Formats: sequence, structure tokens, C-alpha cells
Amino acid sequence: MIRQRLLACLAAATAIAAAQSAAAQDCTINIGAVLSITGPNAAIGSAIGDAGRLAVDHFNEAGGAAGCKLNFVLRDDQGQPNVGVDAAKTLVSIDRSPVILGAIASGVSLPILTSVSVPSKVTQISCCSSAPTFTELAEEGGTQGYFFRTLPTDRPQAVVMAKIAKEKGYGSVAIIYVNSDYGNAMAKNFTAAAEAQGIEVTDVVGYNQEQASYRAEVSAALKGKPDALFLVAFPADGATITREWLAFGGSKQLLLSNAMRAREYVEAVGAQHLTEAVGIDNAQTEGPSVEAFNAAWTAEKGSPPEGPGLHTMYDATAVALLALEKAGAPDGTAIRDAVREVTGGQGTTIYPGPEGFAKAKELIAAGEPITYEGATGPIKFDENGDVTGPYLIWGVADGELTTLDQWDMARVDAALAEVSGQ
Amino acid sequence: MTGLAIYLVFFLTVASIYAIVVLGLNLQWGYTGLFNAGIVGFYAVGAYGTAILAGPDRAALIGGFGLPFPLALFGGMVLSGIAALIVGLATLRLRGEYLAITTFGIAISIQLVALNFESLTGGANGLVGLPRPFADRFDDPDLYGLVFLAAMLATVGIIYLALEAVVRSPWGRLLNALREDEVAARALGKNIAAIRLQAFVLGCMLTGLAGGLYVGFIGFVSPLDFLPILTFQIWAMLIVGGSGNNAGALVGAVTVWGLWTMSGLLISRLVPVGFHAQAGAIQTMLIGLVIVSTLLFRPQGMIGERAGGARFGRSNAPPVAKDRNWSTGGGGQQP
Amino acid sequence: MLQAIADGLLNGSIIALGAIGLTLTMGILRFANFAHAELITWGAYVALAVVAVLPPLVGAIAPFSFGLPLLIGIVVAMAASSALALAADAAVFRPLRARRSESMTLVFASFGVALLVRMAVLLIFGGSAQYYSNELTFAVEVLPGLMLLPDQVFTFGLTAALWLALHLFLQRTTLGLSMRALAENPDLTRVNGVDVARVTRWTWIIGGSMAAIAGVLYGLSVQLRPEIGFHLILPLFTAAILGGLGNVTGALMGGMIVGLAESLSVLIIPPEYKPAVPFLILLAVLFIRPGGLFGALGVAR
Repeated sequence: MIRQRLLACLAAATAIAAAQSAAAQDCTINIGAVLSITGPNAAIGSAIGDAGRLAVDHFNEAGGAAGCKLNFVLRDDQGQPNVGVDAAKTLVSIDRSPVILGAIASGVSLPILTSVSVPSKVTQISCCSSAPTFTELAEEGGTQGYFFRTLPTDRPQAVVMAKIAKEKGYGSVAIIYVNSDYGNAMAKNFTAAAEAQGIEVTDVVGYNQEQASYRAEVSAALKGKPDALFLVAFPADGATITREWLAFGGSKQLLLSNAMRAREYVEAVGAQHLTEAVGIDNAQTEGPSVEAFNAAWTAEKGSPPEGPGLHTMYDATAVALLALEKAGAPDGTAIRDAVREVTGGQGTTIYPGPEGFAKAKELIAAGEPITYEGATGPIKFDENGDVTGPYLIWGVADGELTTLDQWDMARVDAALAEVSGQ
Repeated sequence: MTGLAIYLVFFLTVASIYAIVVLGLNLQWGYTGLFNAGIVGFYAVGAYGTAILAGPDRAALIGGFGLPFPLALFGGMVLSGIAALIVGLATLRLRGEYLAITTFGIAISIQLVALNFESLTGGANGLVGLPRPFADRFDDPDLYGLVFLAAMLATVGIIYLALEAVVRSPWGRLLNALREDEVAARALGKNIAAIRLQAFVLGCMLTGLAGGLYVGFIGFVSPLDFLPILTFQIWAMLIVGGSGNNAGALVGAVTVWGLWTMSGLLISRLVPVGFHAQAGAIQTMLIGLVIVSTLLFRPQGMIGERAGGARFGRSNAPPVAKDRNWSTGGGGQQP
Repeated sequence: MLQAIADGLLNGSIIALGAIGLTLTMGILRFANFAHAELITWGAYVALAVVAVLPPLVGAIAPFSFGLPLLIGIVVAMAASSALALAADAAVFRPLRARRSESMTLVFASFGVALLVRMAVLLIFGGSAQYYSNELTFAVEVLPGLMLLPDQVFTFGLTAALWLALHLFLQRTTLGLSMRALAENPDLTRVNGVDVARVTRWTWIIGGSMAAIAGVLYGLSVQLRPEIGFHLILPLFTAAILGGLGNVTGALMGGMIVGLAESLSVLIIPPEYKPAVPFLILLAVLFIRPGGLFGALGVAR
């Protein structure tokens, strides 16, 4: 039995090698993505993969990149770093992907970056990893510039939420946050910003993901009888916490983090209980570039793009491919250097979709400068590969997620300056 | 080197890290009959110990001692040994399953410390910027990978030979005797709990060493690296290879890790994306099936035990002695 | 404080129900069954399937959040968990016992069975959190500083009733007496003509049923996830060992102590460390009094 298995493995390896040589004749470039299709982030992972695939399809419709057709290869990290690293290594060494898109969890993206992307000189663009450690590592020179992310860093988000708490007149707020890089940073930044504006933060309670009960955490947060709750969580855990919070007499005035903007959350809690809740999310709700993506997604999927990571993944993929076209060859370092040449605001604006990419190809061929304005709006990477972006404020009305307000970059910058200035 | 060769180097490096864990587990289970259900905990202690000792100094962290890598690796091993000592002292004089339960518990607790003791472990962010040993002396990442693999294979080889010598020594034969017939061993006036404790701690130190080497290879450590599934994966490696046999442990590590990564690769190529979630669950179920069906149908594993009878098949002691043994220990206490 | 005690006792009820089955298997079948916690998950999900399939016959029974379908679901879940326990015994544990394998082999096999069941649940029901009812019921302030949900009162009452029934069963019926005898002295019992196969069967059925109820109550008060059993393994073992193996009343008390300790611990340690509390209790018990607080073996000696 075992010998048969080994033979099967060998056969698979041979098949892959054969596929590789066949690919070389047609001139196909594999574009590798490592995402969680199973594991804790499975609920969002597969849709995020679709967003990446959509961008690759759009590019192929526009005639491919760097003179070749593109092939999107999606690998599952199962939420495990060792599996993710192995997947990334196969993408880079066997599939010869010049970029790695992903991963979702920072705890998977980081080991891929340090043990695969940087040593192999491959550009990595993440849609979804928000940990501050990437910035830290970049400042130390540990990323060698190979890491970018299209998801805005968390600090502005927490500051904007604190501003909203102030505007709503909440005198005291409790925080329940998911004990992860994401939740930690949000809780800390929110506390600092809220206190700077004279809001009392009664209790800051962390919770571990995927527990069945959060009653102890909810009780701890209820102790100070706060006016409102700032909840930093993911949809499933967040729904359980919200249910327990409301059932035990917690305020209906909820402040919700970006990951909670999901239909799943609203349905699990019950829309009628969320009328006073406000949440935040990355994304620009208006503008031709955003609508171009929304329309393309809706045409493909039959429903509008809702859920975390879709817009940022499309942009991550689009930036990678534009940079590949600019670089002219599937070379990780050349792509890294080209990323800032296709973003940043200098040159002709390029929108999502096949027409936009076709135009980009023409302009690049003509040696003209371009700048990509994507599904999340204009993109400008700073020296650490981070972006800051606009935000939208959402609420729940008539059982649906609705957009209540928008914060463009100028308004976000003003809020940041105000809070740190005080 | 071709892409496939580069990947193979990478794959074998990871597999040899696991092989060290499996060798440690084999000493515990294969030779001594101790059920360690918290492998991932000791692996984490070794990894974090190494990372904290070798990592760069940072204001927000207690650790970051910047020690040379080999020294840090040794420190991580010692810390794993201490964790094993605490668990072992509490349970090894008791019925065997208490060790299983307690090791399961310590793994969960270690995971919690890793996640929450932010000033030591970096919390959920993990520890970044850890040195990969001697990486700065190599320009070519592929060459570095090859050298790293060579070092790993040498390490595995040394451990393998040392363990082979150990199990043939009087102490090793005692382990075997103890496993086969505890009553007889006790009658010979041997301090059973102490001998078990030695084997358990030694096995956990090997696990800790592997954890440290993993950190050296990846250059990063976070709580996500130590999910409970890893314990099952390691067990499957030992079971498939055949416990009670060090060569089997090596074969098992390569085979199971190979199947795991290869099936992931095949799923990504053959299964439509919509079914990936199911495919992932089935992949994990295979581990459970491997464990259960090996116990039932091929207790000796792929390679089988070299001497002393099958590990799982039956106990060599007469049934009556075994049962007596049970009832004396039945209340959780042994006289 | 009052709230923490109430929460602890309620959580403890669920742990206790799970631990009762576990202590019986450990006492009578003599191995630590890591798969026991998965019977909880399985039962909870089977009840969910029943609730999803049945029309809400009479709607929710006020003031509870559930109605007749869930009560039917509990019964079906008890049968399903018992069936799963018996199937696992027939397919895995009995052949190993027949071969006179060491107990550690059985423990290890149960480790594999646990993984199989958990993944099967994931495969069938999916990984996201689910609820028996999406309606939210609100807690009532019973005493100043003490909020209770009607469902929680139901949980507590059901646990007490089940314990009483089980206690009487083990004290008064022949089968119950055989079970106790087997737990206390297997060799003697075998010689005296007790039908070991029958006792084994009923041990699984009782353990499985209790686990299923625990699972439904867990799902009722919190949510359903494929990992609920996995996260309960440590509290269950701690409760069973604390109570003394084979001791049903001990397991109940052990469950309550673990539940209370978890809940009260939040007052002194950060809640993030709460899952480690059972481990600390376990370590303390093993160091100080490994036979458990209430004496090992036998229900009431």
C-alpha cells in the first residue's frame, strides 16, 4: 500500500514537471496566491481568492502581462504557517511565480516573507495582513522592500472610531478585542485616541478566538456599565459576543471594527438589535474606480462584493500584474522596483477592468507613466510598503448593511493630527 | 538547480526538523510506553526559548538576549526539559493516561502563554527579525538552503546514532524491560518512575531542539506555528513509520509530511475551489484514519519494530499480571 | 461576584454532564477516552439537524428560546451519540480490547477517533458558528447584580434531575450495581457471572446520552462549533479526576468546581488565561491527591 502511495506521489511530481515544460512553450506566467481556504479564516478565504482570480482574468482579457498569458494558482495555507510556507515555496520554486499574493493571517504572511519571499527575492503583496510587525520589520530592513500590503494599517481606523464615539457623545466605552495582532493594535490605538478626547475607557478585555463561550469576557466588560462597546472581532465570534452582551443588559450603542461588516454577523445577531450600531471599513464607496470593480464583480458573481478582503485582494493582484508588465519580465526584484512606478499618483489614471489594463499596457509600451486607482481608491505605498486609505462608516437599517458616512484621506489625516496633537 | 530540486531541499529540511521530533517521541512512546499528547507544547517551548535567547534586543520585550544561535538552541532545549520535568514529576508515578491528559493540558497552557504574555513572546504578533544562522555568509539563497539541509541531516544523523547507542545500553534495555513487564522490573528493585522521567525529559528536549531549529530556519515565531494539529501530524509520522524503531521514525516523518504537502498540492490543482474546504477536512481525517487503522491492522507500522515484539499488538506480560497492575493503579494511585 | 458564581455553576453543569460519561468509561472500561468530548459535539450538531428539519411545531415555549423541536432534538441526539459511541467501540476499542492491548493503545486510538469525528462534523455541518435559534432572549435580573437567562435555569434544573436519576439507577438497579461492581473489581465481577458485554454497552449508552445533553445545553447557552468538544477535553478530564474515577457524584462536583474556578478566576487573572485554569487544578490534584477529592471508584463507598 505504501509503495503504491509513493509511486502515486512520484507520478504527481512527474505530472507537475510535465505541466511546467508545457507551460514554458505557451509562455504562461503563474501568479501564486496563498490564502486560507480551510481553517479559521475559511469563511472569507475562498471569496478573496475569487477576487484575485478576477483580476488575473481581467489581465488575460487585456492580453496578459510581460508578453505571456497569466495563470492564477491558489494554494490553501489551512491557517497553518508551516503549510503556508510550504505552499509559498512550491509556488516560487516549482511554479516559478514571481509574486506571492497573501496570506490572510499575519502569522502566516510573516513566515512566508522571512523564509520564502525575501530569500528568494520575490515580491509579496498581502490583501489582509494588518499586523504592525510588518512595518517594524520593514523599518529594520528585514523585508528588503519585497513586502507590500493594500490593506490600510489599523491606527487610523481606531482613531476614526474614537472620533465617532466622541461625536456621538459617548462618555464611557468598554473594549472587547480579539487577542490577535489585529485586535491588540486596534484596542491600544483606540484607547489612546479615546482618552486623548476625554472619553473614559472602562475596561479593555481581550478574548481568545474560537471559544464557545465569551460570558466571562462579556461580564468583565459590563462591569463598568459603559455607554458603548467597541468590539474588535471577526463575524462569528463577534456575533456570539454581541448576543451575550445584549442578553446581559449591555448597551445597544455598539462600535464595530472593519472585519464585522458581513451579512453573516448581522443575521446571527438579528438586524433589529443593531439599529444603533456603527462600524468602520476600509474602502471608498464612490468614485469611478470603485464602481468599475463593483460592477465587474457583480457581473461575474451575481451579487455585490461584500465582505472583508475582496477589494484589497483585487488591488493587490492588479498592482502585482501592472508591476509585472512594467518590469517586462517575471523577475521578483524588478517587480518590486516597478510597484511604485505604477502607483502613487503620477501619470495617467488606470481603473480596474480589462479596458483599464489594456490601456495600461499601451501606455507602458509607449513609456508613459501610469498610476493605478483601484477597488479601494487611489493607492500610494509608503517606504515600508504600507498604504493609508479612506474609510466608510456603516450601519444596519431594514436588515441590510448600509453606508452612513465616508472619511476621505484628508479627513482621516486631520483626525490623526488632532488626536496626536492633543 | 531546477525548481523541483530547490523545493526538495526545502521539503527535506522541514521533514528533518519533524524527524527529530519523531525520534524524541519514539524514545517516549516506542521505547518507554509514555503517551505524550502535548508534543506541540514542548516544541513551542524550544522554539520560543531559542527565539527569545537569540533574538535582537527590543524595548518592548523582556527577551532579546542576542546570544549566538547554538547557545540559544541549547537554552531552548533546557527549557523544554524543565517543562517536561514539571509534568513528569506530577504524573509519572501514576497510571499512564494521566501523563497523556497532563501533557495535553500543558500544550494548551503553553499556547496561551505564547499568545498572551506579550512582553515575553510578542503575543499574537510573534517575534520578528530573528537571525537565521549564518545566512549573511551566503549570497545565493539556494546554496544556503543546501547548506542548511546538510547541517540538518548531520544533526538528524548524530541524534539517530546516539539514540541507537542509548537503546542498546543497559539503560535502554531497562526501558524495554519496563515497558514489557513493569512488575518484574519493579521486583528487580528498579526505580521505575525515575527511569521513565529520564526518558520523558530526554524526548522532550529533542522536541525542543527541533522547535529551535525551526525558528532558525524560518526566522520568525508566532503562536500560529503551534496549532494542536501538529501533535497529530507528529503522531501519524511515528505510527506510520513504526514505533519502537528509530529508522521507522525517520521514514515516517518524510512519508507523512510528503503526503500532507503533496495532497495539498494535488487539491489545489485538481479540486474545484468551492470544494477546498471539504478537501481540507478530508485531508485531516486521513491522519485520524492512519492512526486508527494502523493500530488495528498493522500495529508494527511500515517498518516495524526490530526487536522485542510488536508495540501495539499485545502486551507480552501475562494477562493476570496486567490486570493486577491495573487494579492497583485503578484509583489513580500506585502503591 | 454573584454573577460569576452563577455563570460558573451553569458552565459547571455542562462540564459535569460530560464528565459523568467520561468518569464511567474511565472507571469501567479503564481507559482515558479522548474521543468522549467529541460525543458532545456530535450530539449538539445532531440536535441542530433535527431542529432544522422539523417545522417549529408550537414555536418557542415561553420564556425559553427553544420549543418542542429542540426537546425532540435532545432525544434524537442522545440516541445518535450513544450510537456513535457504540460504533466506535465495535470498530476500534473492542477489537483492541480483545487483543488485550495495553490501555495506552486504547487511549491513543481514542485520540485518532476524536480527530475523525471532529473532522466529520466539520465536513457535514461546516465550520462556522451556528445557533439553535436566532431569536435573542434577554436575561432577567433575579437579584441585584445577578442576571439569568431562562435557558440557564433549564440547564441547571435538567442537570440536577439527570444526576438524581443516574444516582438512583446506580444504587437501585441490578445493571447499575453491576456497573459499580465492575468499576471496583473487574476480576471478581467477571468470575461472578456479570455480563461484561452488557455492562460495557450500557456504559457507552449512558456516557453518550449525557454527552449529547451536555452538547445541546452548550449549544443552547452559547453556540455550536466543531471545536466545542475539543475545547472541553481538559475541563472534562479535570472534573473526572477531581471527582475520582468512576464516581458519578464526584464528577458532578468536579464539574461544578472546574466551572466555578474558571468563572471566578477572571476576577484575579486576565480572562485570556482562563482556559489554563483546569490545567492548574489538574496539576494540583495530581501532586496533592491523585485519587481525587471524593475518593476513586465506586459511586458511594
